[in-house]
Amino acid sequence: MIQPSASAASLLEARALTRDFDEGQVRALRGVDFSIKEGDFVAITGPSGCGKSTLLQLLGALDRPTSGTLFYRGESLPDHPNPAAYRARDVGFIFQAFHLLPTFTAAENVQIPMFEIDRSVSERREHAFELLKLVGLDHRLDHFPAKLSGGERQRVAIARSLANGPSLLLADEPTGNLDSENAHSVLELLIRLQQEQGRTMVLVTHDPAIAGRAGRILRMKDGQIVSDGKP
Amino acid sequence: MTFFTVVLRGLWRRPLRTGLTLAGISIGIAAVVALVGMSRGFEKGWQIGLKARGTDLVVSNKSGSLTPKPFDASVRDRIAQLPRVAATCNLLVQVTSVEDSDLMILSAREWGGFSWNNLELISGRMPRDATEEAVVLGQTAAEILKKKIGDPIQIETKELKVVGIVKGGALVEDGSVILSLPLLQGITGSPNQINAIDVRAAPSTSEEQLAELARQIQQLVPEVRAVTVSEHLSHAEGFRLIKAMSWGTSLLAIFVGVLGVMNTMLMTVFERTHEICVLLAVGWTRGRIMRMILYESALLGLFGGVLGVALGAIGVKVLSEAPAIRGLLQPDLSIPLLSLSVVIAVVVGIISGLYPAWRSSRLTPSLALQAG
Repeated sequence: MIQPSASAASLLEARALTRDFDEGQVRALRGVDFSIKEGDFVAITGPSGCGKSTLLQLLGALDRPTSGTLFYRGESLPDHPNPAAYRARDVGFIFQAFHLLPTFTAAENVQIPMFEIDRSVSERREHAFELLKLVGLDHRLDHFPAKLSGGERQRVAIARSLANGPSLLLADEPTGNLDSENAHSVLELLIRLQQEQGRTMVLVTHDPAIAGRAGRILRMKDGQIVSDGKP
Repeated sequence: MTFFTVVLRGLWRRPLRTGLTLAGISIGIAAVVALVGMSRGFEKGWQIGLKARGTDLVVSNKSGSLTPKPFDASVRDRIAQLPRVAATCNLLVQVTSVEDSDLMILSAREWGGFSWNNLELISGRMPRDATEEAVVLGQTAAEILKKKIGDPIQIETKELKVVGIVKGGALVEDGSVILSLPLLQGITGSPNQINAIDVRAAPSTSEEQLAELARQIQQLVPEVRAVTVSEHLSHAEGFRLIKAMSWGTSLLAIFVGVLGVMNTMLMTVFERTHEICVLLAVGWTRGRIMRMILYESALLGLFGGVLGVALGAIGVKVLSEAPAIRGLLQPDLSIPLLSLSVVIAVVVGIISGLYPAWRSSRLTPSLALQAG
């Protein structure tokens, strides 16, 4: 059963969230509390191993917390009856390593998430074209990932994350594998998309300069949020 | 891009391995087509041969082998009295080696019996009487034995003369050495012994009446078995053994094919762990992941099946021309057999994909984020 949230105004709300591994020997998250409003751009920052990526996985329903509660639009995510549907419709992931499928072209990669929603073949193709145009890659539709630069691959990944019009973008070190020029342009693209389209974005980074572009920064250390505020 | 495109890409990403798996499964299916096609062809050829002779029922010894054991020729006289029996013909049939040919049908027929009537002379003449030391050869038998009119032919210890070459309207007839019954009885030292009686029922006898006639014959002569032409071979132990071996070998080949496809699909799942996790992360359901793997393995089965059917058809054609068995069988490459083979291949593919599909659906999507 989906449990009701105490604060229905928040898009995401975590209460006493923990995540243990190896039967409790490793405590990745130790009681995390926060709430994120619709349209927020939040950066999660902290040293390696502090639990940033683990938290992002919980937000994206890729993993389940050991204890505590996590609400999305007032519904408990760990109790979500169909986590795949949540990932398909409500969340767009952008990974550090792009994670494009090598045997599919740019346009096909963007279409992959669309199989989970009701779109015809031509609608999928047209929408992929629109999204690649949005990220400035409408001239690279039929290129396979191996033929694209790092920056271009991440733009394809961004287009893919937008495929089903999610409210929430989750980006895990999205510029971590890019040179500074590409990192800058990808970050600007993400910020533009977040602002223009009013999406909520949670971005994990250990780069203070990137975190500084967010509207709010959650600083983590040893599995806990040690500060929560504006840059 | 359709879901089918995604499935096909999965197969094409490792063309060499997909090709080798296809080769594995197609060999299994080729074995089914070749072995079962040959045994069915043998059965069919025998039936056509009997039908060409105008036979409705075959009476033979109950302890059947491929060529049944002999029994006394007087049995015919008891059967001939039954109503609805229009004609009978005593036979002594052996599958034996003749000169350089390892397997040849030696068909000795009662002189004047109806089983001679379907033979159409191509060249030469028929034997003059039951005692003339002469044979006629079916046209394929003449080719295999490389005989022409006037040539001597060694049947066991006796040298006979080829006096005619005939067309029998069926492969089995064309592949036979045909001679009069008393002649072969004399050669084999078994006077009054026969191992089959061809029975022709009265015109307009229905299938039910034919079955009733068979029952009557068995009641009258309990030591024999009377069966219709289509059932004849299925009662022969030797043929049943051939059939069982054909299916046994085929099933073994199919089992190897199952292991091949399962191995490929498991390797695919292991190699594509990252890809599958990415698909789960972007919202694909576990059911869709399972369908993708199952469709891939079913497609492997389908392609392997089609390839196997082609290989098997070629193989069976080549085998049926082999000197050892040429003239004995007409390969059965009927649409039902070929369709059945492809269906078997697809089922093999699906069964082989079940475990890999289940494994793939158990993957944790968070692995995608951890993988570099």
